[in-house]
Amino acid sequence: MSDLFSATILTAVVIAALKMATPLLISAMGELVAQRAGIWNMAVEGTMLIAAYAAYVVVVLTQSPGLALAAAVLAALLTGAINGLLCVVLKLDQFVTGLALNLLAAGLTLFWFRAGLQGEGVPTFRSLSPIVEGPFAGLYPMMFVALLAVPLIWWFLERTRPGLELRCLGENPEALDLRGVDVRRGQILSLLFASAMTGLGGGFLMLAFSDRFVPDFTGGRGWLVVVAILAGNWRPGRVLVAVLFFALLEALAIQSRVGSSLLPEQLLLAAPYLLSLALMAVFRSTSLEPAALGIPYRRR
Amino acid sequence: MRLTPRSERAIAWTLGCYAAAVVAFLMLSGLLVLSVGGSPQAAFSALLTGALGGKAAIGNTLAKATPLLLTGLAAAIAFRARIWSIGQEGQMVFGAITGYGAVLWLGLSGPAGIVVALVAGMMGGAALGLVSGVLDVRFKINVIISTVLLNYCVGYLLSWLLQPGVWGDVGQTVSYQQSAALADSLYLPLLPGLAKVHLGAVLALVLTVVVGVTLGRTRLGFEIRGFGLNPRAMVARGVDAGRLVLVVMAASGALAGLAGIGHVLGETHRLRPDALAGFGYTGIVVALIGRSSAPGTLAAALFFGGLAAGGLTMRVVADIPSSLVTAMQGIALIAFLLAEIASGYRLVLPVREEGTPA
Repeated sequence: MSDLFSATILTAVVIAALKMATPLLISAMGELVAQRAGIWNMAVEGTMLIAAYAAYVVVVLTQSPGLALAAAVLAALLTGAINGLLCVVLKLDQFVTGLALNLLAAGLTLFWFRAGLQGEGVPTFRSLSPIVEGPFAGLYPMMFVALLAVPLIWWFLERTRPGLELRCLGENPEALDLRGVDVRRGQILSLLFASAMTGLGGGFLMLAFSDRFVPDFTGGRGWLVVVAILAGNWRPGRVLVAVLFFALLEALAIQSRVGSSLLPEQLLLAAPYLLSLALMAVFRSTSLEPAALGIPYRRR
Repeated sequence: MRLTPRSERAIAWTLGCYAAAVVAFLMLSGLLVLSVGGSPQAAFSALLTGALGGKAAIGNTLAKATPLLLTGLAAAIAFRARIWSIGQEGQMVFGAITGYGAVLWLGLSGPAGIVVALVAGMMGGAALGLVSGVLDVRFKINVIISTVLLNYCVGYLLSWLLQPGVWGDVGQTVSYQQSAALADSLYLPLLPGLAKVHLGAVLALVLTVVVGVTLGRTRLGFEIRGFGLNPRAMVARGVDAGRLVLVVMAASGALAGLAGIGHVLGETHRLRPDALAGFGYTGIVVALIGRSSAPGTLAAALFFGGLAAGGLTMRVVADIPSSLVTAMQGIALIAFLLAEIASGYRLVLPVREEGTPA
């Protein structure tokens, strides 16, 4: 472990952790909004995967990371729209629609990837590049977007009237309905927002982390987002802490692959999952889960 | 024209809804084939030949359906109690690990080794199911979350176990992990006349009957169904909700664990992550399409087994990636769910009355 604490490695680990945290955090801030509005979006993993694939295809075709990010967001919005149609309009179980979309996303991306829709051979790839000079060298502009999203989402949820209404969607949709607020519209909009944010995260994951798409590219990061929201007890600040913690563990796991470490890599990779179970077990009494989370709203 | 809820189901309308779902399923799958420049007709005919064309194809279908039937049953009993466990994937892999580990540790071979492996596999799966059950009952941790988390943990555990020096086979590469092969005497016997179909298929069928009878005809089954429909009413009747969750999670885990170790002893004869991956998640879809009933799950498992077997032929004959099958499963689930919803509604044609503005 000694070489882990030398200054250069420590800096590398912190930068890597911030980079890992970026897609998780962007997606988590979106999903937090959807969950506070009462939507258990289980399709985060699939949405992120579809977005990453869309970013990949577009960046290979156009060599433009900007267009690729836009494609990622669009693909995610489409996934979110389908989910909204199924679970908000048709009131199918949110758990079931989420799983169906995850399966569809895994199947579609794998199928198109194997069929070589992105062209033959190893594609040339222009990825997002980090800031080169100055005090922020090595960091990505998207990191600041992600970090800024946390206070913004907190301010929106806790300090604005639409934010209050949105929270009410998750706590007591009937009260809003009685006051003439369109529950369905609010929930669909929040689901679309969540999907777009996850799309942005998935696009960043593709463009900043890798030079090619591989099957199951997201590898459980979407689920980690859902876990971060639970472990963070539905509060933006705590979700941020959970995400940073997961990202640090993942950065350490990667470091342990390069250097030597006392702990096996697999244990470090599994650590976010194990530790969040422990965290949730300890802090269960203070759960701030929205009361109507996951219950399709039906007028009585 | 508009849709209004109907009080009771009409058979013709229901059949029509499901027929429309099948047509939509085939059309969307065909569009996918077109999207990669293939011929839907060639793809589907290869798929059908691979699934049902002759004895070997039917054997393949049954072999592919076997683990799916077990993970499907595992999901079905949990879903009947409205316990949203998605831990079948992890429990299945964990069952494979504990079963394989047990024979390795005890140094057993022959029929005794097979029995020990199967029992250890079921116990492993049940134990992991119980972990999620306890986390739910004792610590109020959402079952969806704990099962997903444990799925990933088991994945990492298997990857760690398959390192060289632990269980990893000699000469394997980093990207392709597998354990050493089991002794021939530990292979599950194949059924005569049907290539690839092993004793696990018979076990799975027997368990389908057991699950069906338990759910339909026993007190436990009544409690499980009642708990799914109205947990409060069941608690008011004196049912111990915590105990019921634990029983269901253990039984569900045991079935999933058997799927894993059965596949190892019957087909792969060694631990291979890629050969196990997906049975648990697909089993969830199998249960959902089978409406979480034993016969429905059997039918859905056979359908998905046929898709999987046909997918391989489709790749060879029509040069369409077999991963089309995964996408088709997702489409099938969504089409089926929509049909289920639609069958609860009726189409009302607008009747314009005299004197009222349209």
